[in-house]
Amino acid sequence: MNPVEVSHIAKSFGDLDAVIDVSFKVKRGEIFGLLGPNGAGKTTAIRMMLDIFQPDCGTVSILGGPMSEEKKDCIGYLPEERGLYQDIPLERCLLYFASLKGVPDQKARQQLDEYLERFNLAEHKSKKIKELSKGMQQKAQIINTLLHQPELIIIDEPFTALDPLNLQLVREEMQKLRALGVTIIMSTHQMQQVEELCDRILLINEGKNVLYGNLNEIRQRFSGNAVLVRTGDKLPELAGVRDISQHNGSLKLTLAEDTTPQDVLKTLTASNIILEKFEIAVPSLNEIFIRVVEEGNSR
Amino acid sequence: MNRLWRVAVYEYKRNVFKKSFLLTLFSVPLIVALSVGLGFFLTSLQENDLPLGYVDQAGVFTSAIPGPRSGQAEPVEFIPFQNEDEALFSLEAKMIQAFYILPPDYFETRHIELVYRNKPGGNAVQQWYDFLQINLLADQQGEVNSRIALGTDVTVRSMDGDRTVAESGPTFGNFMPLFITMAFLAMLLMSSGYLMGAVVEEKEGRTMEIVVTSISPGQLISGKILGIVAIGLTLFMTWTLIVVSGIYAARWMGSSWFQNAAIDWSVILATIAIAVPAYILVSALMAMIGIMVTTNKEGQSVSSLFIILHMVPLYVGIVLLNNPNGPLSITLTLLPFTALTTLAIRNIFFSVPGWQVGISFVVQTLSALGAIWLASRAFRLGMLRYGQRLSWQRLFPSRQGSMERRNP
Repeated sequence: MNPVEVSHIAKSFGDLDAVIDVSFKVKRGEIFGLLGPNGAGKTTAIRMMLDIFQPDCGTVSILGGPMSEEKKDCIGYLPEERGLYQDIPLERCLLYFASLKGVPDQKARQQLDEYLERFNLAEHKSKKIKELSKGMQQKAQIINTLLHQPELIIIDEPFTALDPLNLQLVREEMQKLRALGVTIIMSTHQMQQVEELCDRILLINEGKNVLYGNLNEIRQRFSGNAVLVRTGDKLPELAGVRDISQHNGSLKLTLAEDTTPQDVLKTLTASNIILEKFEIAVPSLNEIFIRVVEEGNSR
Repeated sequence: MNRLWRVAVYEYKRNVFKKSFLLTLFSVPLIVALSVGLGFFLTSLQENDLPLGYVDQAGVFTSAIPGPRSGQAEPVEFIPFQNEDEALFSLEAKMIQAFYILPPDYFETRHIELVYRNKPGGNAVQQWYDFLQINLLADQQGEVNSRIALGTDVTVRSMDGDRTVAESGPTFGNFMPLFITMAFLAMLLMSSGYLMGAVVEEKEGRTMEIVVTSISPGQLISGKILGIVAIGLTLFMTWTLIVVSGIYAARWMGSSWFQNAAIDWSVILATIAIAVPAYILVSALMAMIGIMVTTNKEGQSVSSLFIILHMVPLYVGIVLLNNPNGPLSITLTLLPFTALTTLAIRNIFFSVPGWQVGISFVVQTLSALGAIWLASRAFRLGMLRYGQRLSWQRLFPSRQGSMERRNP
């Protein structure tokens, strides 16, 4: 049983079709990337998963069935729109939200202290939320999402306002949770983070699935027959190379259909070329994203 | 603890431990006490306990009979003078506040002369006329004399014989339901505004989306309403405590109005039975308005309508009192918003039948539950419409529109 199974959901608001047809499954203990351009329908899809909105059609199965009040305790949610009570101290705010998730007061206090230490917020726990910096508020939101030890986490843009150190901290926390078997659905525009963290992804455009599956397989699928080479030497004449172009400080060699990267490597080593870099050119997720969305829009 | 209660406790603490709440809590009784105190002070300025003098040239007070004691007022001494000069000398020496001259032809003319530097106290003048009256009746038999001196004693009785009001006017107990109603209206005005503010803040502060992934919109709205009801009760209990203390103080100081309170507890219970659902009804509607609008100010302008509706029976109060069991009185007793004030007005002089109170209670309770449902629906539809209004059409979709959406 998958923790999340979404089947052909759709949602309209008046004349606006926010989600037209979205389906996906999220496996236990994976980090799943929910991607798409602005207005693609990601947030609406998340809200339907959480039963904030009811889909016009299609079904959502969360933790083995429809959403219920009991299941809400097992889900941690970081919404796109940040919202902690601004006028009360950080500690009181987080304890209140933990109590709404059914965490006993003593346990909540103990866990909160640990999280505040880990996220370097312990000395700010008596400050009102509005007195904290944006980065601190973001960390507080993340603590709020994790404090009740959920088995399913849904986070929308978790890295907003975080500096590189805190970004690393949050990334490590997510990896640790994955290792513990927690399922994470992450929606973000930061493709580098998706590449580093996600096992599988779904790309939504204009309310529909456009790309879905294992991240490595998708990248392989989008890789052309090309290699990236960086060298200080002048390249010799290479048989089977159709085109050479610059690519981020390297040379991108586009190969003929019957030429393999091994053929090129053999030729280069035989020519005593000193290679600083030789790798199969796999497109970045960013490139795939742009290509898929642009193709979709031009259709 | 049930999560609904957690929301209620949070909402309660969040408001009650604010300085502004404490200011509200004590400012209302303070303002009332100051108003009453000012009234007593102004009245006391019109009183003067110095003796009054009189020059009796008509022989009315040949064998002067002391005047009757009236209420709790301090008796004013009446000093006879042989002539005007003596009286004038005492007036100049400030030994008396004024003096009356009864001329020799008083029995023919009934004219009397008053001499003073400063206008004499109202209490003294009143006692003087009582003193004069009893001495003019000196030749009557004792009982007749006393009865005439006491004057009329009319008791007003309602047609069903259930309510009686003495000539001195309704007792404090008669007015109790009206006082309770006024206190409830003051509570409504203050505490339900907190609820609307809390909802607007929660929506525009984007907190709503987190909260509703922990509890249902129904639990959230019900918890908030409970919290606000608890705030209202805190206000009510505190004010009651202060009022009861004030009553005991007034009784101790000898106020007959408070000593003969004649409180009818069944009427008070009926008033509270209607007041509680009426309060919840308005609170739920305030919450609904809070979710439909984008700013607190916008919400306040709409919500004032609910308070005005509660005031409608006051505007038609004379009609209600003239015909307390007429169709208008009964209708307003049964309708939401007008029931509480109508009941209070009718109960001053008339005993409202139990069946009307019972039906009204059911109507108010159903209305309150309906309002909670409506507020929950508004929560669900409007909670994520940041910076946007929720239209009435969205809240009450037409049947045709619903069918179209289901079968596009």
